[in-house]
Amino acid sequence: MHTTTSRHLFGVLLLGFLLSACGGAEESQSTDATLAPDNRQEVQDYYAARPDFFSFKTLADLPADLDWQDGMDLPEIGSDQAIKGGTEYSQIGDFPRTLRTAGPDSNGSFRPWILDYTSLGLAHRHPDKFDFYPALAESWAVDTDNKTIYAKLNPNARWSDGEPVTAEDFMFMFFIFQSDYIVAPWYKNWYSTQYTNITQYDDLTFSITIPEAKPDMDSRVLELRPMPRHFYQELGDDYVDRYQWRFQPTTGPYIIKDKDIKKGTSIALTRLKDWWAIDNKFWKNRYNLDKIQLTVIRDSAKVFEAFKKGDIDQFGLNLAEYWYDKLPNTDVDVEHGYIQKSIFYNQKPRPTYGLWLNTSKPLLDNQDVRIGINYAINWQLVIDRFFRGDYSRLQTSSDGYGEFSHPTLSAREFNIDKALAHFAKAGFTERDENGILINAQGQKLAFTLSSGYENLKDVITILKEEALKTGLELRVEILDGTAGWKKVQEKQHDIHFSAFNTSLEMYPRFWETYHSDNAYDDAFLEDGSVNPVRKLKTQTNNLEAIAIFEMDKLIDAYRASSDKAEMISLAHKMTEMHHDYGSFVPGFYQPFYRLGHWRWVRYPEFFNHKHSGSATQYHVHWIDPVMRAETLEAQKTGTSFGPAIRTFDQYK
Amino acid sequence: MLSLNPQTQKKLRRFRGIKRGYYSFLILAGLMLLTSIGELLVNNRALLVSYEDTWYFPTYTDFHPGTDFGLTYGYETNYRDLQQTFEQADNGDFVIMPLIPYSAFENHAPGGIYKPLPPTLELKHYLGTDTTSRDILARLFYGTRIALMFSIAFMVWVYVIGISIGCAMGYFGGVFDLIFQRLIEIWSNIPFLYTVIIVFSVIPSTFAVATRIGILLTVMVLFSWPGMTYYMRTETYKEKTRDYIAAARIIGASDSRIIFNHILPNVMSTLVTYMPFTIVGAIGAITALDFLGFGLPAPTPSLGELLKQGTANLRTAPWIVTSAFLTLVTLLTLVTFIGEAVRESFDPKKFTVYK
Repeated sequence: MHTTTSRHLFGVLLLGFLLSACGGAEESQSTDATLAPDNRQEVQDYYAARPDFFSFKTLADLPADLDWQDGMDLPEIGSDQAIKGGTEYSQIGDFPRTLRTAGPDSNGSFRPWILDYTSLGLAHRHPDKFDFYPALAESWAVDTDNKTIYAKLNPNARWSDGEPVTAEDFMFMFFIFQSDYIVAPWYKNWYSTQYTNITQYDDLTFSITIPEAKPDMDSRVLELRPMPRHFYQELGDDYVDRYQWRFQPTTGPYIIKDKDIKKGTSIALTRLKDWWAIDNKFWKNRYNLDKIQLTVIRDSAKVFEAFKKGDIDQFGLNLAEYWYDKLPNTDVDVEHGYIQKSIFYNQKPRPTYGLWLNTSKPLLDNQDVRIGINYAINWQLVIDRFFRGDYSRLQTSSDGYGEFSHPTLSAREFNIDKALAHFAKAGFTERDENGILINAQGQKLAFTLSSGYENLKDVITILKEEALKTGLELRVEILDGTAGWKKVQEKQHDIHFSAFNTSLEMYPRFWETYHSDNAYDDAFLEDGSVNPVRKLKTQTNNLEAIAIFEMDKLIDAYRASSDKAEMISLAHKMTEMHHDYGSFVPGFYQPFYRLGHWRWVRYPEFFNHKHSGSATQYHVHWIDPVMRAETLEAQKTGTSFGPAIRTFDQYK
Repeated sequence: MLSLNPQTQKKLRRFRGIKRGYYSFLILAGLMLLTSIGELLVNNRALLVSYEDTWYFPTYTDFHPGTDFGLTYGYETNYRDLQQTFEQADNGDFVIMPLIPYSAFENHAPGGIYKPLPPTLELKHYLGTDTTSRDILARLFYGTRIALMFSIAFMVWVYVIGISIGCAMGYFGGVFDLIFQRLIEIWSNIPFLYTVIIVFSVIPSTFAVATRIGILLTVMVLFSWPGMTYYMRTETYKEKTRDYIAAARIIGASDSRIIFNHILPNVMSTLVTYMPFTIVGAIGAITALDFLGFGLPAPTPSLGELLKQGTANLRTAPWIVTSAFLTLVTLLTLVTFIGEAVRESFDPKKFTVYK
């Protein structure tokens, strides 16, 4: 028996270490063997079949009285002290499941590296001023009466493979996002209903029309990112497999070379030396690093050790544990200034950290149970004791949108009596031998609390212990990030601890998270009553499976409205309705971000921009090779530069 | 009264003679005894509460809400606070707390912040607290208990299945043996860790913790019994050709009687020798699985989970990893010493001298 058991033990240990290396290595490009389809005719036919949506005109048809803007009066974003060059070593928690930017698994944590923060739309919101500065567009004009936005593309704009960016890439964007090939219901819905027309005037000039003149209608169009027409000639039913590991040509500065994709291990971004926008006012002095090497390190403790060793250049110190205990100001590297610590107070819509209750599950479909749970979750304790008072309580799921956020509504506090009262209303009056509430049928008040945040698992155990006081049992399930997200996307969770990242927008979105379209197929019958045979819809962001007939109406009105005041009042009404429904337990938000970085990682004097969500979002940092050599040398000899612990509270 | 045959008595005497193994056995036995009454030693429930002249023994009973003792809340009484309240009130009520007045689950943060606390006598956190301010000694204690119980259950099941099938293979031989050997070969080629991961990803977490531990046990047993069959098969092959088996068969003993009453006692020494090592293997495996996050469901106290926490906080809280590591080493050393002693005392070649 000796040999067998020890062999198993060895197997356990060994496999554990190999596991990270094995994942994802089995996929191969088998698609090359099949004849590549050509969809050029199909796309043309698609345009021709929808003349209302896809129009072709000439420059002569362009209205003459348009007020063209170019945003050139806004301040620059990068710092003129920045130096180009060098490699930044960074880390990702999980290897991306795909390099596609649309379709299944594409909405993961790798997306910012290939889409959100590294590619260009027509124009982007200025991270300090909120107005638009030009990206792919050279100028644009807003025609509010006709709900149309006109754009002239920058004639220099190029895809990373050298092809020019043209109006057709925008037409094609509608084709691909409206198609079923990409298996992305959200895209299909959004691009079919939120836009009504695209008109091409010449290769560089086009206009896009939207159904309602929303207060932020310019952002609806200006933030669109084109899809490279020439790259998707092979688009077909096998899109998901065919494009799984192919890097789509980008309008941005970073490409991924095939040789840099080491599945399961690492992936690298390489800067295009002759990027077309490199000297443009708003794009110069940004994207300074020649290469960004992203290595998969799953365990956050290991990431920190790698950072301390200097193997990776920056490390987020948002958790109090890291900021105060693991990298205290008295740490040798900090005291000597080899590692610098920075806190930056920002202003932006807040990610919605909280508990998402799946209302399609038994018991959780009961409003009293849900509200009881709201009172049974002690977020304040977590904020005070675990985050050491640095964070604040999130009040609703749409905080940080200025007047669109509800002015008075506050999240329910931890209150045992109120929780018990609500649980009692739902029939849970007796406690069993362990103090868990049970109802007359002997059913326990117990739910699974799952999460993909391995580094926040302590938060969950604290919540569990506190909830026990109200007779609520939470069974903890910690998954890895990808598996956790998969679970909620498949709507298999009871209660899930997660957050949606939010982008810089004028007002919150409701359709994605609260509309019944994203909860069930045919949620309601004609008369508004619940469809008894409705089927739960997966792969949507309505994690709570909310389907309220009145809410749907409000959301539709909100989406259709072009009056800011009306939208604000609708947003407040919906936020209240959501609060009353009790399917979301607002957690916490962090009014700042903070990080540690080696001395050679340099940031502008102002550190970063008002609306930035993370230090690297706008790629304004750079690496100073001289300082690197200097710092490494100083570390050997023990020379001190003096501590550099900086607080940037200009936007506090 | 159980009468042991002289051979066995001799072996046991020899075992007692090997001091290192014998004392290890006594220590481990004592430890198991202690852990089996663990609730009386390490618990946040009081041993005895005397309130308004009524005595309560909350340790093994249903929970007592605070209202039972004149407090205002309806959830489980905090007996440590109650003790202080009674002492201050000084009206004859009293609370006797266990030696270590903490449970393995409660977050106790005297400083108000959840962070690892170094060992302190004053607060009775003798080994400090972990990252969410849970008492490490309490978690180690219950973690060890679960590991020991788990590994003993594991051993029993592996032996029952391994012995039955192994003996049958050896005894019947022929086609039966051939087929089973091939089945076992196929079976042992299924990767164990992947199976555990897959099984754990499909079982709903709505199952109670005990059920999930049971499933883990089942999976581990399913992958470990084949090893046992190899030894039993060869031993049985050897024994069944002996004359006493032939004699038993002539008398008309049934197959099962021959296997369990005649062969099994004679291969007992092999079995007993392997037993401690099976336990060592099981403790190691469950700890490794926990360390990797595929073992016992959170927040079950476990050695592997503490080791993981310890390695994550190596710089800031070295006491976590130290206590977990020392416990694991001690446990495995004790079992190994016992194993060595058992092997030696059951070795028939005691007086053989090689020249």
